[in-house]
Amino acid sequence: MERIGVVLGSREATPLEFWVGVEGEGLLRLDDLVVVEGYHPKVGQVRYFGMVDHVAKAHEGENFDTDTFLAVEGKIPVSLAYVAHVSVTRILPEEFFPPDPGSPVYLAQGGDLELALYYEAMRNQRGSTKLPAGLLKNGEVAYLNLEFLNGVKGGHVNISGISGVAAKTSYATFLLKSLLESGVLEDAHQAKVLLFNVKGEDLFFLDKTNARLTEEARKEYARLGLPATPFGSVAFLAPPKKEGYLPDVDTRLEGVRAYHWDLVQFAQRGLLPFLFADKGALTNLGFLVVHVAEKLRRLAEKQKGPALLVEDWPGEDLPEGITFDALGRVRLQSFAELVRYLEFKLLGPESGEGEGDRGWTARQARGTLEAFVRRLRASVENVGHLLRGDRPGNPPDPLKGEQVHVVDLAKLHPQAQMFVVGALLKDLFERKERGQYRGRVFIVLDELNKYAPRDEESPIKDVLLDIAERGRSLGVILIGAQQTASEVERRVVGNAAIRVVGRLDAAEAERPEYRYLPASFRQRALILPQGMVILSQPEIPVPLLVRFPFPAWATKREEVLEDNSAEALRRELF
Amino acid sequence: MAWRLYALDLPWQEAEEALLRGSEPEAFHLLEESWEARTAPPQPWPEPLYFLDGRERAEALISDGERLALLGCVAAGTVVWEGGRMRLLPPVVRRVGVGLEKPLAVGELAYEPVSAVGEGLEGLQEGLRQARAGLEQELAKELVGGLLVVDGPVRAVREGPVLGYIKTHWARYLPKEEEALLRALAPGERTPAFRVRRQGMELASWYLRLPLPPEGVRPPESGLLRVETPLQGDFGALADLSLSLFPALASHPVKDPRAPQNLLPVGGLERELARRMGSREVVARMLARHLGR
Repeated sequence: MERIGVVLGSREATPLEFWVGVEGEGLLRLDDLVVVEGYHPKVGQVRYFGMVDHVAKAHEGENFDTDTFLAVEGKIPVSLAYVAHVSVTRILPEEFFPPDPGSPVYLAQGGDLELALYYEAMRNQRGSTKLPAGLLKNGEVAYLNLEFLNGVKGGHVNISGISGVAAKTSYATFLLKSLLESGVLEDAHQAKVLLFNVKGEDLFFLDKTNARLTEEARKEYARLGLPATPFGSVAFLAPPKKEGYLPDVDTRLEGVRAYHWDLVQFAQRGLLPFLFADKGALTNLGFLVVHVAEKLRRLAEKQKGPALLVEDWPGEDLPEGITFDALGRVRLQSFAELVRYLEFKLLGPESGEGEGDRGWTARQARGTLEAFVRRLRASVENVGHLLRGDRPGNPPDPLKGEQVHVVDLAKLHPQAQMFVVGALLKDLFERKERGQYRGRVFIVLDELNKYAPRDEESPIKDVLLDIAERGRSLGVILIGAQQTASEVERRVVGNAAIRVVGRLDAAEAERPEYRYLPASFRQRALILPQGMVILSQPEIPVPLLVRFPFPAWATKREEVLEDNSAEALRRELF
Repeated sequence: MAWRLYALDLPWQEAEEALLRGSEPEAFHLLEESWEARTAPPQPWPEPLYFLDGRERAEALISDGERLALLGCVAAGTVVWEGGRMRLLPPVVRRVGVGLEKPLAVGELAYEPVSAVGEGLEGLQEGLRQARAGLEQELAKELVGGLLVVDGPVRAVREGPVLGYIKTHWARYLPKEEEALLRALAPGERTPAFRVRRQGMELASWYLRLPLPPEGVRPPESGLLRVETPLQGDFGALADLSLSLFPALASHPVKDPRAPQNLLPVGGLERELARRMGSREVVARMLARHLGR
């Protein structure tokens, strides 16, 4: 054990925090872990483990600030005081009496470090649950207790940080890598990941090697016990272009599938409410939405699609392109047509002051009906290409096929983004509820403040709340991220057992949502460099500052390592 | 009968510079030519340069019914200037019981016996002063080479050069006419050296004027320092060196009430010594607890 100093007597020492005077050549930095031995005749030996969260140097014997000049000129003798504040993480055995001033302080290494950070407690009947979560300042591996991530004792991760430097997505993908490939998660081969890509096309190269990966980073991966490889099994899904069926992507040209729903799926799965996601829930309108969704569901019963067949569309309003099929029904082939059909059912024929179908209007005032139709009509432009009646739908199905599904939302109108997220999450959660898939499902969603805002109500927020509150027992784990946790529904953030903070905005860091961080960490969150995050987990009473290695997978087009091997060329050509 | 606490606070007089008694301006003997202000070009400080100082503190008066004894603490330390840094050498702190015959342990404090010098309370106090002086002597003997600067008059001769400096001037050394030069001295100037005889020692002494910022109208004796050295070797060179030494180390009136005469390193040393002697309050409490009232 390396002795680093003594417990100070000039400042109060308590069982939970004390100050250390650093001796001679000793080096004690923020985040260093220390151990102190205390003794009391009635209790015996007690060991205090702690983390340094403040260090300071000062000239002792100086009365005035300007004395420093005299000290530098060599005119007065001063002694340099080098002190550190330690927050106690653990006392063994649990006897909460203070250490004696003057007790020697040692750096915690090896076994002591494990004790200080409760690593030795991270295990269950089947073995260790230490999930590599990054590297500590001293180069040792930082671990998360998997049981707080996989739903056994807790679940969900929440990541906060400003855009660009906070590396929310990078850390989320690193965590996924660790989950899927560290071998700590037993049923990792069964786990599925649904990743929403909200900006750029960063996540579209998860399966490509990063050309900028250095030898040093490879060593870091090795130390973490992770292969420095890109993700092996990834599906890339993008919405189609507004015209045609090709995926709407710029940077990645192969291997991306377009996704959309057909009208029958839309009706059967009751996805209508997700089109109203960003609107405040006017009571009557909300009621009408649910009612119409239910009517649509009944209408679509037993239909196969993709087009939705209706029987009662009046002949005179028929636009071209709508034809009678063998059953004598009208085939709705686009979302625009569905909207017109709903308009007819709710408000009656366009000509004259007709009334809508009483079965559909649910006795709502005409104003409410008109508001509903107006909003629906406005959404045609936004979601028309995602809801089609002319082709069988192929919405993303994260539970089938590849292990990781990247679903692109970046180019969609916010309303369409809402719709896709809501529709996918609802579907996924319902299937897990019904027990249709046994493995765990990890959902990565950035911009939680948009989908589960603190102040507004929306159907997506309901789904997210459901996942946050009940998901962990069903094996649905939300890895959510946002710039500002203060703007996200409290219950969504509050249910996250593991919280990660990247670089924060100064005003944001002062909000009560970050009170769980000690003041020194809130301060440091303002200056965190890229590639570093503050990690809080329930078992360890202090947050850990961890560094995670440079992604082994490409995060943009330029980083993709070109594969020019003969094998790759052969695959390309034949 | 056991020793009992008699008083914690004693009427303490500022230690007079008793050694200065007996100096007579009539025996004024000039050692350097012509009585006028002198300057000298700047000189580098010799290395090592030692500053030695001591402190004493009376902690309690105790009585066993017949006699009185004075418990006190003496400390001495050295600051050395070497390689452009002022460094503190380990100071020595000792607790002494003036008038005791054998050591007295009071809780964790151990007082060594020291004999009184003279009668009554004054004799006890003088004993304490002498204990301090003895400690300073001890430290001075350990210092090898270099130049030693002591706070107060020079009391002993050492092998290397030694300078003593006197901050307050109770005794007169100069005849009336010569005293006029003291008022005329500008900062950084000194008088020629003159001879001082004291208790069998022959000393060379001179006055020098320290800078006293901010400049302005001051009483004529402000910033005046009297420096002395045993009358041997090249005292003139030491006198010139003192002009490079003392003004540079003069303290600032904003920070030290005894500025500028209380030198900066010595001020730091005194603070440190006071710290090493322990808190006055804590000591008083321990004495009160163990020796009762």
